[in-house]
Amino acid sequence: MPRSLFEKVWDEHVVEQLPGGNALLFVDRIVAHEITTPQGAIEILERYGDELFDKRRIVAMNDHVSPAKDTETAIQAKILREWAKRQGITLYDIGDNGICHVIAPERGHIEPGMTVICGDSHTCTLGAFGAFALGIGTTVQTGAMLAGCVVLERPKLMRITIEGRLGHGATAKDLALYVISTLTFRGATGYVIEYRGEAIDALSMDERMTLCNMAVEAGGTTAMIAPDETTFSYLRGRENQPKGEAFEANVVRWRTLRADPEARYERELTLDASALRPMVSWGTNPGQSVPLGGRVPADADPKSLEYMGLAPGDALRALPIDQAFIGSCTNSRISDLRAAAEVLRGRKVGVPTIITPGSQAVKRVAEREGLHDVFQDAGALWTHSSCGPCLGMSMGVVAPGSRCISSSNRNFPGRMGAGGRVHLASPAVVAASAILGRIASPEELPERAVAVPAGASPQLEWGE
Amino acid sequence: MIEGTVLPVDRPNVDTDQIIPAFLLTGITSSGLGTHLFKGMPGGLDLLAAHPGASIVVARENFGCGSSREHAAWALVDRGFRAVVAPSFARIFQENAYNNGLAPVIVDAAEIEALLTAPSLCIDVGAERLTAPGGRVLTFSLDPLRKRFLLEGGYLDFLANKRTAVRAWLARRP
Repeated sequence: MPRSLFEKVWDEHVVEQLPGGNALLFVDRIVAHEITTPQGAIEILERYGDELFDKRRIVAMNDHVSPAKDTETAIQAKILREWAKRQGITLYDIGDNGICHVIAPERGHIEPGMTVICGDSHTCTLGAFGAFALGIGTTVQTGAMLAGCVVLERPKLMRITIEGRLGHGATAKDLALYVISTLTFRGATGYVIEYRGEAIDALSMDERMTLCNMAVEAGGTTAMIAPDETTFSYLRGRENQPKGEAFEANVVRWRTLRADPEARYERELTLDASALRPMVSWGTNPGQSVPLGGRVPADADPKSLEYMGLAPGDALRALPIDQAFIGSCTNSRISDLRAAAEVLRGRKVGVPTIITPGSQAVKRVAEREGLHDVFQDAGALWTHSSCGPCLGMSMGVVAPGSRCISSSNRNFPGRMGAGGRVHLASPAVVAASAILGRIASPEELPERAVAVPAGASPQLEWGE
Repeated sequence: MIEGTVLPVDRPNVDTDQIIPAFLLTGITSSGLGTHLFKGMPGGLDLLAAHPGASIVVARENFGCGSSREHAAWALVDRGFRAVVAPSFARIFQENAYNNGLAPVIVDAAEIEALLTAPSLCIDVGAERLTAPGGRVLTFSLDPLRKRFLLEGGYLDFLANKRTAVRAWLARRP
């Protein structure tokens, strides 16, 4: 019986079939952060003798609001910190932490073929490794901490083939927005998406994570990409991965994790990457996205338009913005920062711009490359790592009626602050828009006055 | 049996940021979140004020999409809601609803218009039947396993009781 990638991973983890198409599914890795974990840690302490199924399968991090912004968030961080210490769980904390979906793979905790859960909907990011990785609620995470398993209804399967190659300034983020706008915001509900095709093969791990990150924005349970040499190269020599022969033995096993040629899917979709151009969202969910040169659709949802202060037929290009944000679990990895720096080098931002690396390790690499100087020379704020402005929970909140262009994943009403309007785009488009103070693509930018090396002082740069 | 008045949420894609915004997720317990319910939804607080004592949400497609925050289900339950009636739910919210005694009732999209204007509804979770004013009866179906968690609670105890079996499975795992 030919099997898909998902089916191979699923079959290896079913402990028991349960009524109603559910399975008791074994969980290899639990990623635990401070917003959704303390409740479960407390419940296990109070009701189940503080006993975890296997602490070695858990990694924890303070990431959403770190450092804490107030007493309540300080208590969340403290509980996670004390629990990790008491249990002997690996914890990434202030000074060496990062967004869960950035730091977990970066530190080698995610492997092909694993089942991974996290109390965070963007856990689908990790499907980029050929893992079955999904977001769940606190109760389900607590159950996995307690018994090593989740109860899960077996999802349906969708295969998306992306032919051609990305070009014309289009990135993995644009591909993600394009897929969601094609499927619609809820079009993949109940499905696991398996991505394949020439464009997917050519993506780096960073780009694959960006693409898979947004599967949940089409309602998908998760997305998966079969591991290949790109995946193995990423993992080889990485912290928390075995070395030498032990690693290569894993590679041999991981090579079997791809769909059999005759594998069957409930839905199939083929898209062409070569025609893709930079995308931008106009509405209040990521499916409401169009090419940057496009217009708000004639049949646009009136409630979305009212919130966004737009009308059908409005051009997205040239729409004035008040703030720009580069960061989040979608686009805060080193390649995203490099792309932003390429646009910002030798230029100045025209609106308040916040750039937040996905982890402290990403921050250090960026600074070694001088990207922090590029950003700060351009007048942007370069912050420590955290989820940051993406969810309006701590810094960088967008004022009511203000418009922010963001490399994050959600443009929901109030997502970045009550009444704040969010347009989603790639880091390069966010950077170009930040410079011009309106939604713009990098190709619209005027030539840099002079070639400026990274790290040059503002005085030299602008001849003052 | 759930008999109650309706909170008509005439919107598709009510995401969990609208149900409870992230800046209010700073607690460490599941209780007391009802005061924050629908603070992120445009007009949400006015809507709640206009329907005091409502215990059944009626909404359009894809209710509970977005963030996995179980706080959304906790806030609804804390505010006295016992069911959400919609044509479809996001997966994670639906799981969270089952695990917190909040019935996720799926009915055909064509029925929602009438249910949005119904002052009250009667939902027999056990029999999987919804009765609208005037006596119109709609049937719906619940996940047979999760229905037990919905009616009796016990998701964590269910898993705790599987621990020996899971360890045995793990010992056999290649």
